[in-house]
Amino acid sequence: MKVEAQEPVVEFHDLTVSYHKKPVLWNIDMTLPKGALIGIIGPNGAGKSTLIKSAMGLLPLASGYVRIFDEALDDVRHRVSYVPQRESVDWDFPTSVLDVVLMGRYAKLGLLTRPRKADKEMALNCLRKVGMEAYVDRQISQLSGGQQQRVFLARALAQEADLYFMDEPFAGVDAATEAAILSIMQEMTAQGKTVIVVHHDLQSAAEFFDWIVLLNMRLVASGPIDKVFTNEMLQETYGGKLTVLAEVGELVRKRQIPSREKY
Amino acid sequence: METLQEFFSFSDPSIIAVTVGAVLLSASSAVVGTFTFLKKKALVGDAVAHSVLPGICLAFILSGTKNPLWLIIGAFVTGWLSLVIIDNITLKTKIKEDTAIALILSVFFGIGILLLTHIQHSGNAAQTGLDSFLFGKAAALVGKDLQVFGIVAIVLLVTVALFFKELKLIAFDASYAKALGLPVKGMDLLLTSLTVLAVVTGIQAVGVVLMAAMLITPAAAARFWTNDVRIMTVLAAIMGGVSGLSGAYVSYVAPAMPTGPWIVMIISAIALTSFFIAPKRGIISRGVQQRRLQRMIMDENLLKELYHLGEKDADIYKARSIEEIVEERFFPKDRLRSSLRRLRREGFITKENGHWRYTEAGRQKGQRVVKLHRLWELYLSKYMKIDPDHVHEDAETIEHIITPELEKRLEKMLEYPEVDPHEEKIPY
Repeated sequence: MKVEAQEPVVEFHDLTVSYHKKPVLWNIDMTLPKGALIGIIGPNGAGKSTLIKSAMGLLPLASGYVRIFDEALDDVRHRVSYVPQRESVDWDFPTSVLDVVLMGRYAKLGLLTRPRKADKEMALNCLRKVGMEAYVDRQISQLSGGQQQRVFLARALAQEADLYFMDEPFAGVDAATEAAILSIMQEMTAQGKTVIVVHHDLQSAAEFFDWIVLLNMRLVASGPIDKVFTNEMLQETYGGKLTVLAEVGELVRKRQIPSREKY
Repeated sequence: METLQEFFSFSDPSIIAVTVGAVLLSASSAVVGTFTFLKKKALVGDAVAHSVLPGICLAFILSGTKNPLWLIIGAFVTGWLSLVIIDNITLKTKIKEDTAIALILSVFFGIGILLLTHIQHSGNAAQTGLDSFLFGKAAALVGKDLQVFGIVAIVLLVTVALFFKELKLIAFDASYAKALGLPVKGMDLLLTSLTVLAVVTGIQAVGVVLMAAMLITPAAAARFWTNDVRIMTVLAAIMGGVSGLSGAYVSYVAPAMPTGPWIVMIISAIALTSFFIAPKRGIISRGVQQRRLQRMIMDENLLKELYHLGEKDADIYKARSIEEIVEERFFPKDRLRSSLRRLRREGFITKENGHWRYTEAGRQKGQRVVKLHRLWELYLSKYMKIDPDHVHEDAETIEHIITPELEKRLEKMLEYPEVDPHEEKIPY
């Protein structure tokens, strides 16, 4: 079940990604629409994070390509922002909330340039948007999980991008933060920005997103929520029918065969 | 004492040279080491430090001189090589990074020692002093050597200052840096080169064996004092500089002494002191906080028991003997006495004929603890469906930490309840 986007901003073309030679994503081929709040859904180990990491060029691709705004990623990087998983960093790092948000400005600043006053104001604005203005000078180790997530979101906002990839922004946050993040995302999509979110909770997924990508090592479905979010599709995503795929992946790893033949 | 004066009067120009050199070298390795530390790559520094030895020896054998430029190039090559091999082993085999580091470190160092022994037995007149690379000799920092090493140290400091923002981001969140399109690979390469260079220059003062300490210890010590990378880097530089200075002094006073161990002893002493006395993160400060907390809990418990006693015979303000209190709830005698004294000093209780009774403020405080205890018990049984006979222990802790804001919310949520799950009255 696949619906092609009318106005595509991201195109995955026959994408295969491997970890240590073991394919974890097979032949992902889809387009995602502009201005939508898009949820990537699937069970643990389905390759959800892998998908957005490969879109951001953080992982080597075994085959296929990703095009963003119909261009190569490197040509449009300044229009794309990424929110990594909260647990991916050490929150005991000696730095302040403002400093972390300012990191969102580094790409615009370039090497050797210090953040200017305008960048600081921009960062403060973003902190205000996520309701963290009272924590500007706070050391990041003192933040709660929800606050950490808000800081990461503010950092991404400071990039002023048109397309956002977010890895589990709702994981382990309190109800107030969840609502705050969601309303910011909705505001962004209303402005024509595209937000692509890795999400693991089926129940809230139905309320949050208007486009759903169902993933389990391969693309099960991609399309508007009313077409894709059906019992049948969910069963196919979460059911155990794909053990053959997992076993073949394991074989590929053991035999050290490249997942695409190269001559 | 006399030598101390003599040393710090800097009357001898060679003292100035040695001192400036040692301080610069130690400070620049500390600055570079801050990022090695933040990236949690401390062991890598150690591996590089040991791996430069064969390079130094080879450079000497091939060039036949102790020209520092040659030695730096030689050290740089093998130091780099060791890192490349470690990376490749980790990436392409099942061997984990710590094992790879241990392997490379010992192999390279072994080869280095072998070459060094060979040189010493070759009877080359120029070889004297080469073994000072093992344990360092600050006093050997004179003339042209000093110029070369000093320039390298300054280059290190300037480079870190220029790329500070990128180095910080990559140490904190490398994948985000990569997503931003920053040249993460290039910066990693830069930091690796800086580390190798820092080692190469630092070993003149400290020696290969103890060089890792010069990279990591100042950063670890500085981390105790601040939560800001910028301050931490400067602090690490100062601490490194101070230990370098002391190394120079030792080298002057006792020329036969290797300076490396001294420098490392000093910086370790600084680190150990920081570990104990630093505010907030230090052991002593944490102990004091812990003690303060225990006292507060003890005091609140005591006031609570006075309230319980008052409830029993419907006379809140009755004076109580120590025996009565202990009968209500056991407290160790000495802690009870000191708590009573403290509460009296703070105006929560008064003493009459050896008996203790509430002041108005004391009654309020005691009553609040009782209220919080019972509110929390009710909350647990009502909202978390915990059996009433299992809620007491929990409430014993929570009663001391609930803030006034939370207190208001609890009251509202539970609609100002009259009694707790054990039918005891909640006082307002």
